[in-house]
Amino acid sequence: MHELSIASAVVDNILEFVAERSIKRVIAVRLAVGELSHVEEEQLRFCYMAITQETLIRDSALEIDRIPAVVRCHHCDYSGRPKYWEDALSAAPVPTLQCPNCGGAVEPVEGTDCAIKSVRFVSDEPVETVPGSSDFASDPS
Amino acid sequence: MIQQIEASPDEIYDIELEHSLLEANAKLAQENRALLDHHGITAIDVMGAIGSGKTTLITRLVEGLKDQIGVAVFNGDATTSNDADLIASQSVPVVQIATVKGCHLDANLVGKALRKTKLDNLRLIFIENIGNLICPAEFPLGSKARVVVVSVTEGPYMVRKHPHMFLGAQLVVINKIDLAEAMGVSVSELSEDVHRLKPDITVIPTSCKTGAGIDQVNSALLAV
Ligand SMILES: Nc1nc2c(ncn2[C@@H]2O[C@H](COP(=O)(O)OP(=O)(O)OP(=O)(O)O)[C@@H](O)[C@H]2O)c(=O)[nH]1
Ligand SMILES: [Mg+2]
Ligand SMILES: [Zn+2]
Repeated sequence: MHELSIASAVVDNILEFVAERSIKRVIAVRLAVGELSHVEEEQLRFCYMAITQETLIRDSALEIDRIPAVVRCHHCDYSGRPKYWEDALSAAPVPTLQCPNCGGAVEPVEGTDCAIKSVRFVSDEPVETVPGSSDFASDPS
Repeated sequence: MIQQIEASPDEIYDIELEHSLLEANAKLAQENRALLDHHGITAIDVMGAIGSGKTTLITRLVEGLKDQIGVAVFNGDATTSNDADLIASQSVPVVQIATVKGCHLDANLVGKALRKTKLDNLRLIFIENIGNLICPAEFPLGSKARVVVVSVTEGPYMVRKHPHMFLGAQLVVINKIDLAEAMGVSVSELSEDVHRLKPDITVIPTSCKTGAGIDQVNSALLAV
C-alpha cells in the first residue's frame, strides 16, 4: 500500500513545517494528486487519518485535487488527454499509454506527480504568505 | 473536554508548499542510477504479484548468464530469507533487503544495498521487488528497466485488474505458460491486454519449468 508511504511523507512534512513556526492549529492540508500517480484517494485519506491520530495535526482536513493526465505522441504529435480503457475491470476507466489518435505509444507529460500544494493553519504570530494562495474550500463543512 | 477557541479570520494563513512527495525517492533513484552507470552495471527491477515466479525466473535467468557476465541479485523479501537462499544456490552475490514496515522497495534501501555490494566486475543486478502488484510503480529504484512478471495462474484478467503496474514497465513476462492450457488462460489475450495499455512494450511468454522464453528474456535485458 503505497498510500501509507505517501501519507507518512505528508504528515512528516507538515509536522516539520509546524515545528518551525508558531502554529496553533493546522486546519487543512491540500494535495495535488496526478491521475497517473495511481494514488487511491480513499486509502490515502484513511492512512492520513490513522497516522495523524496521535499527532498535533489530528484535526486537520485532507483536501485532494486531482491533476488530469496529459500525454504526448511522438508518432503523430498528438497532445492532450490519454485514451481510456473503458471496460477494463478497474473501478474507473483506465488511462492508457496508447495514442487516441494513431494508436502508437505516448509519453505521459502531466499527472504523474503527487505533491503537497498548500497548508492552511492558525497562527498567533504574523506569517508571510504568498499572495492569492487561498484556494481552499471556503467552508469545509 | 478541551475547550476550543475559534480563531479570528485574520489569524488564518494559507501557505503554498508545492512539495513533491515522490521527488525525494526519485532523486535517490537518480543517484543509484549514476552509481550503476559509473560501474557499467544495468539494474533490472523485477515486479509482480506474490507467487508469480519472480524468484524462480531470476534464478533461471542467472543460470543462463553467470558464466558470461558478473551478476548479482538484490532480494526484497518482506520478512524471510527463503528467496535469497534459493538464488544463492546459483553462487552469485545476493543481498537481502528487508522492508520491515513498508511493503515495497524504495531507492533509499536499494542505495544502501548498492553501497554494501562489491560493484567491480558486475554487469547486471536483478532487484526482486516485494510481491505486490499495486505498490511499486511510484517508487523508481534506479534500474534501467522494470520487468513485470504475471503468470497464467493468476487468471485471464490479471492485466485488466491491475493495469497501472504495466504503464511504468519496459518488459512484461507472462510466466507459467506450461500451465496455460490447464488453467484455460490465453497467453495471447493477456499479451493483447498489455499492448492495449502500452503499445510498444515487449511481452515474452516464459515457463521456468520447461525453460521456454528464458533466453529471450536474457537477450532483451542485455539489450536495454
Ligand atoms: N509450473 C510452473 N511453476 C512455476 C513457474 N515459475 C514459478 N513456478 C512456481 O511458482 C511458485 C512461486 O514461485 P516464486 O518464484 O517463489 O514466486 P515469487 O514471485 O518470487 O513469489 P514471492 O517472492 O513470494 O512474491 C513456486 O512454487 C515455483 O516453483 C513456471 O513457469 N511453471
Ligand atoms: Mg520471490
Ligand atoms: Zn499518435
